[in-house]
This record gives sequence, C-alpha cells and structure tokens, in this order.
Amino acid sequence: MSEKETSPTILQFAPLNSSVDEGFWHSFSSLKLDKLGIDDSPIPITGFYGPCSHPQVSNHLTLLSESLPLDEQSSVASTSHGNRNKCPVPGILYNTNTLESFDKLDKQSLLKAEANKIWDDIQSGKALEDPAVLSRFLVISFADLKKWSFRYWFAFPALVLDPPASLVELKPASEYFSSEEAESVSAACNEWRNSDLTTDVPFFLVSVSSDSKASIRHLKDWEACQGDHHKLLFGFYDPCHLPNNPGWPLRNYLALIRARWSLETVWFFCYRESRGFADLNLSLVGQASVTLASGESAETVPNSVGWELNKGKRVPRSISLANSMDPTRLAVSAVDLNLKLMRWRALPSLDLNVLSSVKCLLLGAGTLGCQVARTLMGWGIRNITFVDYGKVAMSNPVRQSLYTFEDCVGGEFKAVAAVKSLKQIFPAMESSGVVMAIPMPGHPISSQEEDSVLADCKRLSELIESHDAVFLLTDTRESRWLPSLLCANANKIAINAALGFDSYMVMRHGAGPTSLSDDMQNLDMNKTNKQRLGCYFCNDVVAPQDSMTDRTLDQQCTVTRPGLAPIAGALAVELLVGVLQHPLGINAKGDNSSSSNGGNNDDSPLGILPHQIRSSVSQFSQITLLGQASNSCTACSETVISEYRERGNSFLLEAINHPTYLEDLTGLTELKKAANSFNLDWEDDDTDDEDVAVHM
Amino acid sequence: MNSGREVSDGRLTVEGFSVAARAFADKWKIHNQSFPPWSWVPLINRTLHLSNQQEEGYLSLEEILILSSLEESPEDESLNVATDCLEKEESVDHTILVQNQENEAHYYDFHIVYSSSYKVPVLYFRGYCSGGQPLSLDVIKKDLPSCSVSLLHESKWTFITQEHPYLNRPWFKLHPCGTEDWIKLLSQSSISTGCQMPVDLYLVSWFSVVGQVVGLRIPLEMLN
Repeated sequence: MSEKETSPTILQFAPLNSSVDEGFWHSFSSLKLDKLGIDDSPIPITGFYGPCSHPQVSNHLTLLSESLPLDEQSSVASTSHGNRNKCPVPGILYNTNTLESFDKLDKQSLLKAEANKIWDDIQSGKALEDPAVLSRFLVISFADLKKWSFRYWFAFPALVLDPPASLVELKPASEYFSSEEAESVSAACNEWRNSDLTTDVPFFLVSVSSDSKASIRHLKDWEACQGDHHKLLFGFYDPCHLPNNPGWPLRNYLALIRARWSLETVWFFCYRESRGFADLNLSLVGQASVTLASGESAETVPNSVGWELNKGKRVPRSISLANSMDPTRLAVSAVDLNLKLMRWRALPSLDLNVLSSVKCLLLGAGTLGCQVARTLMGWGIRNITFVDYGKVAMSNPVRQSLYTFEDCVGGEFKAVAAVKSLKQIFPAMESSGVVMAIPMPGHPISSQEEDSVLADCKRLSELIESHDAVFLLTDTRESRWLPSLLCANANKIAINAALGFDSYMVMRHGAGPTSLSDDMQNLDMNKTNKQRLGCYFCNDVVAPQDSMTDRTLDQQCTVTRPGLAPIAGALAVELLVGVLQHPLGINAKGDNSSSSNGGNNDDSPLGILPHQIRSSVSQFSQITLLGQASNSCTACSETVISEYRERGNSFLLEAINHPTYLEDLTGLTELKKAANSFNLDWEDDDTDDEDVAVHM
Repeated sequence: MNSGREVSDGRLTVEGFSVAARAFADKWKIHNQSFPPWSWVPLINRTLHLSNQQEEGYLSLEEILILSSLEESPEDESLNVATDCLEKEESVDHTILVQNQENEAHYYDFHIVYSSSYKVPVLYFRGYCSGGQPLSLDVIKKDLPSCSVSLLHESKWTFITQEHPYLNRPWFKLHPCGTEDWIKLLSQSSISTGCQMPVDLYLVSWFSVVGQVVGLRIPLEMLN
C-alpha cells in the first residue's frame, strides 16, 4: 500500500517494443517481388497493439501480414482475432533496395517527419477524433530477397516535453479507487472493450461521478465531461506490465493534453487486463505534473525521440527466414520428410544417410539412364553423374523421361540435358555430365586415335574410382566390358541392366576378385573365386565383339517395348538400394525368390537381395537367378584383373584391337577347343547377342 | 457415414468437424478459463469445394505465452554494424526507462485443422519469440513438458514440418495417422451411447489426448 507521496521525480516511460510476425515478411516479400520491384517509395502500413494482458510480460506493437495495404483477396479471411487486442495504428515503412542505402537513411529526419505528423494531428484536432494516431510509428527495413533475411528498425516517435513531466504519484488502480468505484470502472471498461465500436480506441476518458458511477467517454467529449464528475482520468491502453512505470503511449498523450487543454495536473489511468477482463490491480493510476508551454514554444514542434533499442543497443534488428521461405530449402525438407515418413511408418531400420551420401555414376543417359536417375531421386539420392556421348534425338523425349522437345531442337548433348533436367526437378541435386564414348573391345582403333582412347579409359577409371555405385546402362554388350572390368578392379558396386525387344535383365555384379576388404567375413569368400557372384560376362564363352557393324538398321538401334525401360530401370535402383542397406554391401550373397526366408529378414529389411532378375514381358513373368563368378571371365576374373593391373594401357589396347586376345588370356580359347572336340550339338535358344548366356 | 450426431468409425466429415469445433470451443470457454478462448476462422474463396453450404474453417488459439530462461533466446543474425547507429543528435533522454533483460517470452499458436484425406482433425502449431522470430523444433521441445517428449517417442508420433494448408508457411504438425484408431478406442469406452461417440464430443475427446503432447491439458469437466 505504498503511496509515492515523496517529492516528484521525472516521469519515466517504459519503451514500446516491436514484434514482427513471420507472416508480415512473407506478405512483404510477395508484394516486393510481384508488385513493387525496385520502387522504394514509402509504404503506409498498420501496426496493432492492445493493453497488457499478462503481469509478467509487456505487449508489443505487432506487424502481421494484414499490416500491408491489401488489394488482392487472400484465400483466408483475415484472421478474426477480434479487434480487441489489435488496435490499428498508422505507420509507415521505408524499405531500401540495398544495405548501403539502409545504413545511409537519415534516421533523424525520418523520425522528425513522423513526429511532425503527430504534432499536426494534435494541433488540428484529428487526434481527438481518431486517437490511435498518437501512436503513429515508423519502420525502416532492408529485405534481402535472395538470402531471405530482413533487417529492420522501428521508431515510436514521442514528443519530448521540455521540461520533462514529473510524476507526483503512481499506484495500482485498485488502491486509488474505492471498491464501489473500482467495480464500476471495471464494468465500464469491460463494456468499452466488448463493443466493436470502441474496443479499438486506445485513448479515452474515465469519468467517475460522486455516486461512484463510472463511464468511459471518447476524448472528443472532453468539453462535455466538464463539471459533472468527481474524478476525471485520462485513460489509455497500456501495453506495459511494469508496476512502477507507465507505457510509451502516455508520452504523446501528455503532449496532446498539454496542447489542447492546457492542464498542469494530469490524472492518468494505465489500463491493463488479464484473461480478457479489466484488471485494476495490474492497471495503474498516476498523477503527472506538466509545465505548460508559453508563447512561441507552444506552437513549435517539440523534439522527438523513439528509435527502438535492440538489447539495449542502438542498432537495427534482423531476422533470417530462409528456412521457411527459400523455395529450395523447402523442397529439400519436403523430400526429406517423405523419406523419413517411409522409414518411420514402414521401415524403421532404413538407413537414410547412406542414401543421401552415395554417389552414382550412370553410364548411358538413354531410356535406362533417365529412368534410373528419376528413381534414384525418389530415394533421396542427390549425387548423380551421367556419361553419354550422344545428343538428344527427335525420337528420344517420348521414351527418355528427362528430355523435352526443346532439347532436340537445340541439339543438346544428353549428358548435359539430363543434368539440367534433374536440377529443374529438384534444385538441390548435385549432378554433372560427361560427354564421352566408352572404349569397346572389338572396335579396333587407328594409332592416331590411341592417345585419346586411352585418355577416355583413364577418365572412365577415375570416374569409377570417385563414385560409389556404377550403373551400366549402355545400349551394347561390348560397351559394358571396360566398366565391368574397372568396377571389379576397384571393387565398386555395379548394377547392370540390359533390354531385349520384349525382355530385360537386371543384375548386380559380385565383388572384385582381389577385393582389399579387411572384413573378416569376406576372407573365406575370397579364398575361392567361386564364392563371388558373377558379372555380366561371367557366363560368356565368347569375348565381347563388335555387335553393331554389318547389322541391319533395326538391329543396330535397340528397339524395345516401351514399358521395359521403366521397369528395368526401376528394378536396377531397387537392387542398388538393397545392396546399400545390406550390412555386407557388395559382398551380400544372392537370394532367390524361393529363398528360405522368402521375405524380410534382419539383414535386409527390404526383402531378398537377388543376383539377377530376368523377365519376359510377353509372358509377364519374372525370375531370379544366381550365378557364380567364373575363373575364365573376360571382365572380372583374377587373370584379367591382374593382367590389367600389371600391363595397364597396353593390355587395354590389345583387348580393344584384338578380340581373341581376351579369349586366349582367360583360357576360353582352350575351353572352346576342348568342347568342340566332343562334337556336341549346341542348341542356341536365340541368336540375339544381347541374351547369350550359355551355361557351362 | 452419417454426418449426423454420431461417429462410429473414428472419422469425421467436414460438417461434423464444424459442429464438433464449435462444441469444443464453447466447452473450453466455460471450463478452461485459465486459457484464452479458441476462435473459429472461416475460410473464404475456397474454389475447390463442392456445393455444400457448410462454412469451412479451423480453430485457432494464439499467443499462448511460455516464459523461458534467457539462454533460450535465439541469436540475432550477426550484425556487422557499428555499436551506435544513431547520430549524436538524439541526445540521451532521461525520461526513457532503461530496461534490464527479462526472461525471454515464447509464444505459441495452435490451429486445429480438418484433414480431408485422413478425415480427422490435425493439430498444427508454431512457436516464436517476442520479436517474431520463429522457434526451431529443438527450442520448442524444451518448452514442452518432459512427459510429452517421452510420450512422443513411445507412441511414434512425430512433429513434422509441413505446409500449413491455408497459410502457405511451414508449421509443425502432429501426424494424423492412427488418429482414427485411437478415437475408435475412445468411443468404444465412452459411456453415453455404447460404441458411438456424439459428434460434439469428438474434438473434446481428441484434444484430451493430443493436447497433452503439446502441454495443453483440458479439465475433466469438459468431457461430460
């Protein structure tokens, strides 16, 4: 019950603080991008505040998305908070186009200009009609719409009284009023607050008659209030919660009272609420003593202050909203969310990190390459490199899902167009394209070409080394030889997909023969090559040859039923993901559909991990096969790999130029001689080179 | 499924949601006065919806205040500015109260939105501090009662960030799958009409579970 009856002190006001809702920046960014462009003329805006509603926290002057001038309909009705806590207050926004011009703004004159407006409204009487103009405010800002960060600074112009007002006394309203009066004042305030007509009028008169009846009146009724009251107080919505200080709006209020009514003693009422009702314990009543201005000084605009401090410092505030506004980041988080949901709902043991970090090399950017790339993206794989030497042809876009008509017309290289397409689908892709032909055995080269072919071999080798998984998606058999060898040499995961007219084959190559893995589990695998799974060439008795020259046109262009490439490409990716999720990775043994587990097991949450999948769409049938690595394989046998390691380029040149070299090296020549000597009839199921797989 | 008085399969129609929402907001206002009331935000210009005349909208409860200690407040972007940006003209004004740093206030907004694909209500929420800066999920989790964080782990609910369906900004939401199932459980044990749950109790029952996760409890009287 302490009364501050001691000698008057200078009246100290609690500063008003700003709060900018995220929605304001979203709306402002749209406005800037869609309408304003580089126009930096000042924008009239509306701020909102209300009386304090919590004993420990002050209210703020808030900017919301509806603070900006509207001319389009939004899809949601402006959030009907009810106007009680959103008293509109006029303000102005100066947004600059560069940080330099933000720093160079003449803050003092901007503040003065707004203070002048308040002074003019006081002098003209507008402040009595629409008292909210007493709380007029100013914001300067710089919106960086590339980084989605916003720098801003509020000013709440306050006219400085000279000499300053002094505080005679200040106490809770419940102590100032008698209990009868208090009840009546509360009721009158609640009524004022509950009526749509008055709830957003933040300055008012409280008139208490001698029989303790209180009524709330508009400021413009001041004259009419004279004489018939016992107490007359100047009430205002006080955002501040402090028990010993009134809030900022009182400053301009006192300036108004002094200028219009020349009062030296002002009884003021800081109206505060809790839980939506008037709270007279939290609210304050005080008596201020004001020195009247005389003569000239009564007419001149007082000085003004009011730049908001930032944690006590005179610097602007800033906020970064990249996470909620940068479209690329939003796309990334949406895609990640999708994968997390899959893990959370269906596959709790799914390792998403391995998927987002794996680097995939796609040899071939045609029907298979495009489908593989799209399915990889679906799994959250972000790092894809294309190797293809061709250009997008007119017949391609309908079957090769990354290309459009524009790509053909422009004569784009597939490797380049594919990269562009991936980025358009998902901006966060890390993708690159290499325009290069893959050297092939059985296609002899002249001595002038040797250097460039060897350079290509080296390039291919480096690409394979720098990626984690390689997809063999080219359109000939022989073009898969070198990549198979290099993958076996580097022990990289190789997934092979090949198409016939109405059939396809998808397989994963086994580990390399001299894999340097120091994983104890693999030791007995490496002892005998038979434990390794085979590669594409393991079951061949002929080395890869030229399958292209001297063929008719339809045999040279791989014509396949269109449904096959999407199916095979998708299966290839699912197979890769299975390998990546398997604890043994490339060394995982091959399952068949008839495997004992026949379904999910602990090792492989995704199900079985076959070695080969073959299908014929004419039968709509699909089978899984298992093949072991062959000691006589022209691509992955130990013989060949060690020869490559020892002789390098000369080995490659021989293999490229002399098709029988590989057969001799691996002993296939001998094998064939031995077989022929038995004079058996070999029945070839089909003559299509793509599908030659003679079992030994 | 009738859009009438009762729900038997754990799901709600759009009309049912409007009815349940109003009933929920009314009961909350009466029984839960320690909190501000929920308000109904109608949606306009919904070009997608059919001919039915029902007003669509969502429930909104905003600016729920949680005080936290100062360490929680997010850092401002590094301001490479001089320590004093104002010219010396603005002299020190003794009438301005110098304020100490108080506790950081965190504000939370909650929206109960109808999901037409799951046919259940979904709770969306976001947090921000007094200057308006959004709070990250880590900070929000610190504001939650500790029991709700463990509840989240156990029941496999997750806060996920998704586009708010009407405000076009990322908000957090509690994933709605499974809602249908546990509402069915609740309606089976509801006393009044056997296995049926009256529509106007739907949101109250739903919120009695969901609200706990975000630290909003409802008094038992609301369930009557």
